[in-house]
Formats: sequence, structure tokens, C-alpha cells
Amino acid sequence: MRFIEIKGVSKKFGKDVVLQDVNLTIEQGDIFGIIGKSGSGKTTLLNLISGFLDPSQGAVSYVSSVDQSEKDLHDHFKRIKRHIGFTPQHSAVYPKLTILENLYHFGSMYGLKKETLQRNAENLLHFTNLFQHKNKISEQLSGGMLKRLDIACSLMHKPKLLFLDEPTANLDPIMERDIINLIKAVNEQGITVVVASHHLESIERVSSKFAIIEKGVVQSYGDMDAVRKPYLQDTIRINVRAGKDNTKVVEIAKELDVSRILDSGHQITLFPTNTGSTITKLLQRLQDEGLSMDDIELRKLSLKDVFHRITEAQE
Amino acid sequence: MKTLWLLTKKNLKMLVRSRGSALIVIFAPLLLILLLGLSYDTSTQYGLNIGVHATEQSPEVGSFVDLLKQEEFNVVSYEGDVQECVNEIKTGIVHACVSVPSSFSVQENVAKEVTFYVDPSKINLVWMIQESVGEKFDLRSQQIAQELTSNVLSRLASTNDGIGNVKGDVEGIKEKTGSASSATMSAKEELSSLDLRAPGSPESIVELKTSVTQSREKIDAALDAVESANITSSTKSTLRKAIKDAKLALGTGNGTEGSFGLAAQVSLLESDLFEARSKLFAASQKIESTTSALDNSASAISETNSALDAVSGVLTSLQEAIASEKVTEAGVIAAPLQTKIVRISEEGTYLNYLFPALLILVVMFSSLALGTTLVMIEKHSPAFFRNFFLPVKKVTFIASIYCTNLVVILVQIAVILGIAAFFLQESINAFPAVALILFVTASVFTFLGMIVGYLFTSEETATLASISLGSLSLFISGLLLPLEGMAPIFREIIQLNPFVIAEGLIREVFLFQASLGDVWIKLLILAGYAAGLFIVIWIMESILHKHLVHKFMRKHHKKHTEKVK
Repeated sequence: MRFIEIKGVSKKFGKDVVLQDVNLTIEQGDIFGIIGKSGSGKTTLLNLISGFLDPSQGAVSYVSSVDQSEKDLHDHFKRIKRHIGFTPQHSAVYPKLTILENLYHFGSMYGLKKETLQRNAENLLHFTNLFQHKNKISEQLSGGMLKRLDIACSLMHKPKLLFLDEPTANLDPIMERDIINLIKAVNEQGITVVVASHHLESIERVSSKFAIIEKGVVQSYGDMDAVRKPYLQDTIRINVRAGKDNTKVVEIAKELDVSRILDSGHQITLFPTNTGSTITKLLQRLQDEGLSMDDIELRKLSLKDVFHRITEAQE
Repeated sequence: MKTLWLLTKKNLKMLVRSRGSALIVIFAPLLLILLLGLSYDTSTQYGLNIGVHATEQSPEVGSFVDLLKQEEFNVVSYEGDVQECVNEIKTGIVHACVSVPSSFSVQENVAKEVTFYVDPSKINLVWMIQESVGEKFDLRSQQIAQELTSNVLSRLASTNDGIGNVKGDVEGIKEKTGSASSATMSAKEELSSLDLRAPGSPESIVELKTSVTQSREKIDAALDAVESANITSSTKSTLRKAIKDAKLALGTGNGTEGSFGLAAQVSLLESDLFEARSKLFAASQKIESTTSALDNSASAISETNSALDAVSGVLTSLQEAIASEKVTEAGVIAAPLQTKIVRISEEGTYLNYLFPALLILVVMFSSLALGTTLVMIEKHSPAFFRNFFLPVKKVTFIASIYCTNLVVILVQIAVILGIAAFFLQESINAFPAVALILFVTASVFTFLGMIVGYLFTSEETATLASISLGSLSLFISGLLLPLEGMAPIFREIIQLNPFVIAEGLIREVFLFQASLGDVWIKLLILAGYAAGLFIVIWIMESILHKHLVHKFMRKHHKKHTEKVK
């Protein structure tokens, strides 16, 4: 079911065009990933969808679950924002308040009654695994805990939509995993999540749909298959690490049925037109030449690959 | 050394590139100097409003008013009760009142009194008024003293002239008196030389002589009668003898040789009488000449009398002229105008006088700094972004900062007034009104502080700006430098300074025991400021928020774009 419609949205800061003609639909219950390099415009897009910024052109509309009518975000922001939770990249809690005080504060700002506040706070503390730290001053929390508190604060009023801007930035892998799991858990509670990040692996793991932005333009949009579709011929790739024989391997690869060869110096990536015969031929030729390999990997095209393809094409 | 220079260069770059800091740190002092330069760039020494009270607006009062006006004083005239003027000192309409007599001219031996009504809480102003207005009075006093002295001197001069004039007369009198004296002396000598020993009356002597002659003739006739009488001869002879003896006794002659008897005596007496007559004639002659001398003397004396009358007249007119000068006391002539200073509030300690300013000072700086700090805390709080999505009106956020501020300020006010109550127990009744005024004042300065907070991005710069704003407000409040020395236009503007209004309000309530009913207009102005500033913040916050968001996003975008490049 449609939840957010983004139609022809552009954004300028002065003469600087940050976003250009963005058209997206976010479905209810999705975890929608906005992917892009730093400065590509993903945070701006997130801010436009959340209503923090107004578009220079186009419109963002929220679709009513009752009658499917579209409500312009700008016109109905006061009503819509009650259903929005936003967790920015950097902590957005009061550092001098405790975890519990922060939760109570933001909850009470939505007019929740005392009992509801207590119940929601307790549930969220358990949900985010912060219960035992509830009386800690926020500025004393670790990055991961702070991020969890941020998400908890955004969820205190039980929003229908949660925006997350770079939720895994500056987190170690374990904390990153915790946050990803938390996002999944949030989504499982029926909350639509829109997440902007350049941590492609994380996004790939958690998101059901993606929009890849480069230089303010949505280059690709849809589920994983839809994103991959333009690069179907490159869906499979072979990564070879040949160490000192790298140059010779590149020469051999040129003889094979590959659409493209990428040589990064320490790794050669081959995009085979016929995966099976290419692998067989490659291994045969390497054996014939007496070349050894440090590593050989057969990989399906990932989001990161698609992203790289897109950015390379743009450059 | 190189490191030191590099660090200094880096610091300077950062300072200049941070627009707010540069504006405040570099340009604020220049702006301050510019403002002060413009404010005090005036040839007008004073801009005092002086209330001149006189029971009658006589030409003399008018000329004094003109004198004050020449010195650029703004003069407000009062004719009724002087209290009207005094009340306007309390409300700050006039800075001082001068009660002057309708006429400055001193008629009797009593100096004219000029009363200054001043507000002792404005110490600097009191001295300035005393000095400057007193100077005008000293000048007028000198003028009057000069007039009085001139009167005395002119009378002395005319007396001198009068004396000079009568001196000749007196010399004439002296001469005349001398000649009268000598004439009198000569008359005296003449008269003393007269021999007025008269032997008797010549007529009686003639009669006596005649009667002697007649007696002889009668004796002769008696002899003839005796002879012819028919009497005896003896009788005749006896009679004849008796008659002859009688005739002999009468004697004969005219006194010459051969004369004898009574006739001779009579003749002798006659000759004596003649001698006496000649002497008397001589005496008469002398008297005649003496009379003439005495006439001269009398005329000289008469002239002397006239001259003396003239001298007396001159002296009388001089005496009258001197007597007509009523001012004869040296003290009154030296200081014909005496000034008296009346304080319009009860005598108190300096704490009393400084208390209003101190209160406002504390409230101003606290409110400004706190307002700025709270806004900066909120603005720089990581939660600022989240607040955007809260279903809370902007005005509620503004009001919450204001309320937070007020709580702190109210505590401060309570503490200050609590301590003040200990020292100023006699003024404790005014404290509720003072607290209300402080509350409104705190609101105004809190909102000003909040505006500063919203305008500046860096906390340090904002704090510096709020302190600068407070200092500027203090600087142009009249507490450090008299406002009266400023250019008129700036003076008018500065009267709108909330510090000046608030301090005036506290002074009126605290020092002059004015009720809130008396000062409600000023209080309303102050409350109007607060309301106006609140609206400004509201509008500004709405505009600035979008502006800041855009600015933030643009910076964010640029930063990322540059990083990618």
C-alpha cells in the first residue's frame, strides 16, 4: 500500500541544485533505503520526505491508509509530523538528561498520559536493551547506546514512519549489527522505515527497497532485483587475487568471455558472459601457465557493486 | 617563534572567518566608539530640563529664563504650586526645579531666596545642576549686587557733588560771618567808647531856669506889692527883707563870673546839659555809624542764614537721598540672591540612591545573559533537530525559555529584595511594586537576550554580544555618563532605553513612594517592550529557523561535496 509519494521533487540551495526531479513511492511497511555517497543528496531527500525541508519544486505527499487520498506534506505537516519519528545522524537527545528522562520528555511532548509514558518507556527500554542503563546520563553513553536511545526517543509516540539518517555511522561492527537488528524489529512492529546511509552492506541486509542517488538524481530505485536489472549481464562476477602475477592474469582474462575487466591492482574483477565456461577456462589457463592465486571468489552482484557501477558510470 | 606566529595567524583567520565573532570582537568596540562619538559630539554642554517656578512670570523671571535658554537648558515654567514642579522631577520630566521670586530686585535689607529642588538620588545631576544653574544665579546675583553697589556709589558721588557745591557757600558764609564779626566788633568798640553819663534833662533845666527867672520876677512883683501895700512899714520892712532874701536865694547871672545862687546853679546845670547834649550828639553820631555797621552785619548774617538754609537744603536732600537707599546691609549688597537646596526625597544613605540602579543592573545582566544562554543551549542542543518534529508550537518553545528564565530571575529578585529588606527596612512597603517592575524589566531583558541568542550562532559570540548589549545599555543609561551631555537626538532615543525607563520606575516607586497608579504609563511602556520583543522573537524564530535550516543544509551539502571532490 502506498504511503509516501514523491513527485518531481527538486531542491536547490541558492544556485546549487542538490536534488533533481526525484520521483519515488514508499510503500507502507517497507524499509526503504536511500543510498548515495556523501554529498549526493540522500540526507536532503530524507529531510524533504520528513518535512524538515520544503522542496524547491515538486511535492511530497502522504497517502491516507483509509481512503488512499494524497495529503501534501507541506500543507498537512502539523498533522503528519505526529506520525513521524526521526533519528538524525548525530544524537538528538538532551545530553544532560538520563535515558529515562529523555524518553519521558519526548513522549510528554506528544501529550502522552503518564501511564502511557511509563508503559512506552519501559517497553522501549527493554526493546532497545537499555533498561539497566535507564538512569544513566545520556552524555555518558557509548555511541551504540546513544543511537539506540535516539531510536527509542523517536518511537516513544509510536509513529507510523521512522526516518533514520546514517544509523550505523561511526559504529563498530557489533553495534552496527545491533542497530540493524533493531531496525528490523521496529519494522516488524508495522512501522515503515526510511533509512539513508552509505553503509551499503547494512542497508542491503535490512532494506526491502532502495533508491540510489548520485549527484542529486535517483539513478536506480526499487527492490534488489529492480536495482540490479540494468546490470543483469554483470550479475555474476569473479574476483581474483593473484598477487605478483596480477598482470599475467589480466592478460589471460582478456582471452576469456568477459564483458568487462576491472583491475584494482590487488584484485581483478571479471564480469563473465557465461559464468561456468569462463571459470573453467580461467582455471585451465592458470594451471597451464603455472600461475598461483591467493584467492578466487565467485560473487553475485551486490548492492555495493550496483552502486559502484552507477557511480563509475556517472564519473 | 614560528609556531607562535603560525598559531596566532590561525587564530586570527578563525576569528575573521567566524563572521559573528569578527563582528562582535572587532567591530563592536568600533561601533561603540562611533555611537559614543555621535552621542557626545555636541557643543551643547547640558540638556537639562529645568523647571522654573515663579508666582508671577515677571519680565525679570523671563530674562532669567532666557539666560537659561541661552545655555541650552530646556526650561519648563510653572506658576502654580511648586509641588507640581517637584512631582515632575520624580517622574523625570524635569531634572530640577528652581523656585524664583517674581522680582530679583532687593528692596529691603533682606536677600531674595532662590530654592533648588533636586533629586539626591541623581548625585551627578545634582552637582551639575547646582553648578550650572547656580552659576546663572551667581551671575544674576552679581548683577544685582553691582546695581546695588552702583546705587550706593552714585549716591555717594551725588553727595560728594552736593558737598562740593555747598563748600563754596560755606566759604562765603565764613567770609560773611567774618565781616559781620568785625563789623560787630567795631560797633562794640564804638559803643564802648560812648560816654553816656548825662547830667540830667536839659528841658527841666530850661524850665528850672525859666521858673527861677519867673520866681525873681514874682519876687520883684512881691516887693512892689509890699511897697504899695497898706501895711506897716515894719511889716513892710520885714516883708521886704524876706522877699529880698528869697530873691537873693534865687541868685542871678547866667553862670558866668558874678553869677550866684540858684540861677547860677541852673546856668551851670544848663552848661552841663549842653555839654551832655553835645556828648549825646556825638554818641548819637557813633550810634548812627554803628547802626550802619550793624545793618551790614545783620545783612551779612541774613545772607549767612540764607546760605545756611541752602546748605541745609542740600544736606537734607543728600540725607534723603542716602535715606532712600533701602539696602544698607553689607551682606545683602554682597549677596542679594541666596540659594537654598531642597532635596525632594527623604535623606537616605547612598545605598538608597543607588539601589534602583543596582537592582536594574543585576536584573538586566542576569536576564540578558540567561536569555542568551538558554537560547544557545536549546539551539546547540543535539535535541534541537528532534524538536522540529514535536507537535509543539514555536511560541511554546519561546515561552518555555522565557519561563525558565523568569524562574531563575524571580529567585534572584527574591534573594536581592530579601537582602535589601534587611538594609532598607523603611522602604519595605515599596517592595511589592518594585518586584512587579523588576518582573516586567526581567521580561524585557530576557527577550532581548533571547533575540541575541537567536541571532548569533556561536555561544561565545552570543554571550559576548549580550554582555556588550548590557554594557551599551548601561553606558547610555545616565548611570555612568550623564545623558544630559549627549546630543539631543541621541538623548531622545536613549530615553527609550528600557534600562532608563526601568530605573526611573524603581526610583519613583522606591525613593518617592509613588504608587503603581502613578507610574502605570511607564510600566505599560515596559510591558509593551516585552510584548513587542516577544512578537519579534516569534517572527524572527520562524524566519530564522527556516534560514538556519537552509544554511545548515547548504553547509552540510557543500562540506560533503568538497569532501567527495
